[in-house]
Amino acid sequence: MISVQSVCKTYNEGRPSALTALDGIDLEIARNALTVFKGPSGSGKTTLLSIISCMARPTSGRVLIDGRMVSGLPERFLTLERRRTFGFVFQRFNLIRGLSVLENVLLPATPLGGERRADAKRALARLEMLGIAGKAGERVEFLSGGEAQRAAIARALINDPPVLIADEPTANLDTELAHRFLDIVSGLRAEGRTVIMTSHDPRIWAADQVDRVVSMRDGRLEENEA
Amino acid sequence: MTSWLRRQRALAEYTLAALARRRIKNTGLLLIYAMVIFVVASATLFATALRKEAEVVLAEAPEVIIQNLVMGRHDLIPGDVIAEIDGIRGVASIKGRLWGYFYDRLNGANYTLMVPLDPAMAPPAGQAIIGESLPRVREMPWETAPLFLSRTPGDLVRFDIAKRLSSDSALVSTDLILLNEANFRAFFELPEDVYTDIALSIRNPREIDTIVEKIGRLLPNARLVTRDEIARTYQKLFSWREGIMVLLAGASVLAFVIFAAEKASGLSAEETREIGILKAIGWDTGDVIAMKLWEGGLVSFGAFLLGTVLAYLHVFAFDAGLFASVLKGWSVIYPDFALTPGIDGLQLTALFFLTVLPYMAATIVPIWRAATADPDQVMR
Ligand SMILES: Nc1ncnc2c1ncn2[C@@H]1O[C@H](COP(=O)(O)OP(=O)(O)O)[C@@H](O)[C@H]1O
Ligand SMILES: [Mg+2]
Repeated sequence: MISVQSVCKTYNEGRPSALTALDGIDLEIARNALTVFKGPSGSGKTTLLSIISCMARPTSGRVLIDGRMVSGLPERFLTLERRRTFGFVFQRFNLIRGLSVLENVLLPATPLGGERRADAKRALARLEMLGIAGKAGERVEFLSGGEAQRAAIARALINDPPVLIADEPTANLDTELAHRFLDIVSGLRAEGRTVIMTSHDPRIWAADQVDRVVSMRDGRLEENEA
Repeated sequence: MTSWLRRQRALAEYTLAALARRRIKNTGLLLIYAMVIFVVASATLFATALRKEAEVVLAEAPEVIIQNLVMGRHDLIPGDVIAEIDGIRGVASIKGRLWGYFYDRLNGANYTLMVPLDPAMAPPAGQAIIGESLPRVREMPWETAPLFLSRTPGDLVRFDIAKRLSSDSALVSTDLILLNEANFRAFFELPEDVYTDIALSIRNPREIDTIVEKIGRLLPNARLVTRDEIARTYQKLFSWREGIMVLLAGASVLAFVIFAAEKASGLSAEETREIGILKAIGWDTGDVIAMKLWEGGLVSFGAFLLGTVLAYLHVFAFDAGLFASVLKGWSVIYPDFALTPGIDGLQLTALFFLTVLPYMAATIVPIWRAATADPDQVMR
């Protein structure tokens, strides 16, 4: 479904601080699979994730989604592609403080001009499914780590994207919550979604629910299947 | 279209929720902004109202007034002067005017007593025509209660109210009492055939200077006041109008500087991050800018409305209390004067463009910069 071809990413290109974070990545990511990028800190996992998800552009190389070239798209169309295809659960969740859980969940739907009531209904249904409907009116700064993550998952799914992107989703969770997360993700796969995440958490690599682990080191792949 | 509206509504709702989060900071911002607009709008409304008053006064003023001077002071003028200047060519009409001030010891009020130039306008004997607001200002028990004026202790003259004058000008009508000539002379114990001054109307305004010169030769002791001179006096009085325009410009610049600087100096780290998050989860640059325009629009338009409404109340309901010192010289003559409410649409529009637009314009650049940045920073 997603095809990464010879992708390189150099930060601060042409300057003394130039740093090559990705160095010739070739990768096919299967539809409806759970793919995990593993590797030590600084190996380029987050960078690869953001290029795949149309969050950033590669310095060279191509990214195709369902055969559509997205790596050369101008910003406006890249946003459209990102909006249509991906939902995000960030490492630090990136919920907007001061707003309620429901308001946060509705954010991706806000500029789409959809029916507000229908949006809210969908959001509540998803919060219900994730077991935090009771917190819908609560401000996000009062949530625990696990609740905040589930609010972030609900937000990522509000526009019904086919692909869920999660960066180090279990980094701040205890073992039980990490397993809860994997259960939620399996549920999403059962809904037909594709899940791509990064993790340096061995509990994740070893989990049954994971279809494929992609190892990275210094911006390159050293693949091993799960 | 409905989707566009829904989108704008959703963005506006988000903006309100976002503004509510920093309630104290945003309320403070709104209040300071509203205060600047309040000062500017007060000055504008006040100047406009005064100018309107002056126009009304001037429209009613005769082209030339002849005053008798005795030892350099304005004194009564004998009526035979009228016959003397009657022969001068170009003079359309000559009328002796009777007017004066009366200090009412009973309640400490000042009245302007006057005989209308047109005898048909004069009230019948024993009656008075009074200015519209006089009953209110003088606290008369009911609107057409008789007016009792006391000139000397033990002496009380009664005038029944013939009618109330409505005038466009509060300055003219507030403390006005019109009497007929016989009553006026009796009340002030004036001999027949003297007048307060003499009013001329002139057929051709271009001849005014010549006529004034001729009269000056004829009556070396007289002071001649032309309408132009009155106008100039008013202009002097209102020369601070220009000052107000400077104030207006200055205050808007101030508004511009305070609020624009706050925004133009760059968004706060929190705001920048928030924009990054919104972009990362699928908002495009246009969505972010539209949302921030709502924010700026709500703040600046809210401040504009608040400031303008307060200014209107200040000037017209509270008699421009904060400008009292500017009015001091004036209020000796017109002790209780309320301005006629009025709004100059053009000035309000100018005020709007001078205050709201600069704010919006100044905020757009940093917002645009933040909104076009790559969103992948929020992944870190
Ligand atoms: N915006 C940036 N500017 C410069 N260097 C960056 C930037 N983002 C990441 N890097 C560098 O790129 C390398 C890969 O980072 P990242 O993709 O975050 O790795 P990981 O997620 O595996 O820890 C690191 O050395 C990091 O310091
Ligand atoms: Mg990372």
